[in-house]
Amino acid sequence: MKPQPKLDLYKLHKAEYAATRKPVLVEVKPASYLAISGQGAPGGDLFTASIGALYGVAFTIKMTRKFAGQQDYAVCKLEGQWWSEPAADFARLPKDQWLWKLLIRTPDFIKEDDLREAVSVLLKRGKGEGVKQVQLESLAEGLCVQMLHVGPYEKTSETIAVMKAFAEKQQLEFSGKHHEIYLSDPRRVPPERLKTILRHPVRRG
Amino acid sequence: MPVKIGQGTMRTVTLQDYKRRLLRVLVHIQQHQDDALRLQELAALACFSPYHFHRIFKGMVGESVKEHIRRLRLEGAASQLKLGTAPVTDIAFDAGYESHEAFTRSFRAVFGLSPTQFRSSTKSRITTAAWSGLHYRYGKPVSNFKATQPGGKSMKVKIEHKEPIRVAFMRHVGPYDEVGATWDRLLPRLGKEGLLGGDVLILGICHDDPEVTPSEKIRYDACVTVDESFVPEGEIGVQVIPGGEYAVTTHFGPYQKLGDTYTRLLGQWLPRSGRELRSTPCFEVYLNDPQSTEPEDLLTDIYAPLQTKPRTLK
Repeated sequence: MKPQPKLDLYKLHKAEYAATRKPVLVEVKPASYLAISGQGAPGGDLFTASIGALYGVAFTIKMTRKFAGQQDYAVCKLEGQWWSEPAADFARLPKDQWLWKLLIRTPDFIKEDDLREAVSVLLKRGKGEGVKQVQLESLAEGLCVQMLHVGPYEKTSETIAVMKAFAEKQQLEFSGKHHEIYLSDPRRVPPERLKTILRHPVRRG
Repeated sequence: MPVKIGQGTMRTVTLQDYKRRLLRVLVHIQQHQDDALRLQELAALACFSPYHFHRIFKGMVGESVKEHIRRLRLEGAASQLKLGTAPVTDIAFDAGYESHEAFTRSFRAVFGLSPTQFRSSTKSRITTAAWSGLHYRYGKPVSNFKATQPGGKSMKVKIEHKEPIRVAFMRHVGPYDEVGATWDRLLPRLGKEGLLGGDVLILGICHDDPEVTPSEKIRYDACVTVDESFVPEGEIGVQVIPGGEYAVTTHFGPYQKLGDTYTRLLGQWLPRSGRELRSTPCFEVYLNDPQSTEPEDLLTDIYAPLQTKPRTLK
């Protein structure tokens, strides 16, 4: 029941979000994100609280600007990077040792001052200390393999294997962090219908 | 199953009870078909809360009260055309039409012929298609109808107990599809104060049924949950949504189709649930942001307030 989008970054950068059931190569330009990092299982307490903190900051920044009559924009979907240290162990490690960075893509005109102001107003309202961990970051992923994963999050490894094989066939190797863009809402969408864009930066082998 | 409570006997309300109550309304409509029926009064006749009556009616009978009355009047007009000699203009007027043209248009849409053609044709069927089996009949009061069956995929409904919910809200009065403008004023004002952080719920209360209330009079409250520290200010008020049991179902897809899910919940699930509604409005919780979500992927939980279930005494 809310208004139609004014600026939608996913639509503006449509080519960067191309994803089908077959892997493709995409060129991802540097982009700005609100980000919060942590360690632990997806769905765990810290993970859930971090999502809340990230969204709280994202909507506070957006609505503060909108109130001031500045350029309106849609708050993008949740994204996340996943990795482990050392990187090769990810699949074998227990989930509570997974490292992640949750992201919400944000227009370039959002600056540190906007973030600071939002965090301070949320802290004053007693909306949790977690908002202090939210950072403004830029990612420059460049050339990436990308593919749409349809199904439970637990089964992304099958899709990742297809992406890796696709990369190797073209003399490319995975480099950098695995990146997921959550298109569906796991609260009501059944696991077998969840849509997630999987992205992995690659470089010439 | 009948259960005893205190002195009296209480039993679980059944589909038959719902039908019996609607029959009172249907008989009244039949007997006053030509009068200007006050839609709000029909709810009282069936002992349904006016908040919910029209959705229950539409869900069970398969057409809204307005559609039902219009159809019966057209069937009545067809009967008069065949059996009587009154001029078409008089029949149109009796059927509630202010012009010959409007009557002809509606009549043709249903019977495939203009009223004059129908009168001189050999076509004798004066009834129209209706699942309920309810048709224009002179004299004998209607005594039964066929309630719609839940079709397609079964509806998932949970019963949830909710504590009272305190919300900051802004009231919208006007067409339902224009509530966006109210959200546009409410959310930035709350957002800049940090009130959209944490576990807030974004919800809407529709006090009127868009099918019945003239669009310029529809009242809708755009609400965001707040704690005790929030003080109402200017256009933004505070209200408390009553706690208690609610039937909850999720609507998948565009907001424009929310009405269909309300109709299924109140008109098909409810009469078979053994439960009755409380006389407070339903509310809806918006689970995602329509600015970044395609309409077909939108998720909305609909909450219908239930009366406390009669307790079984040993």
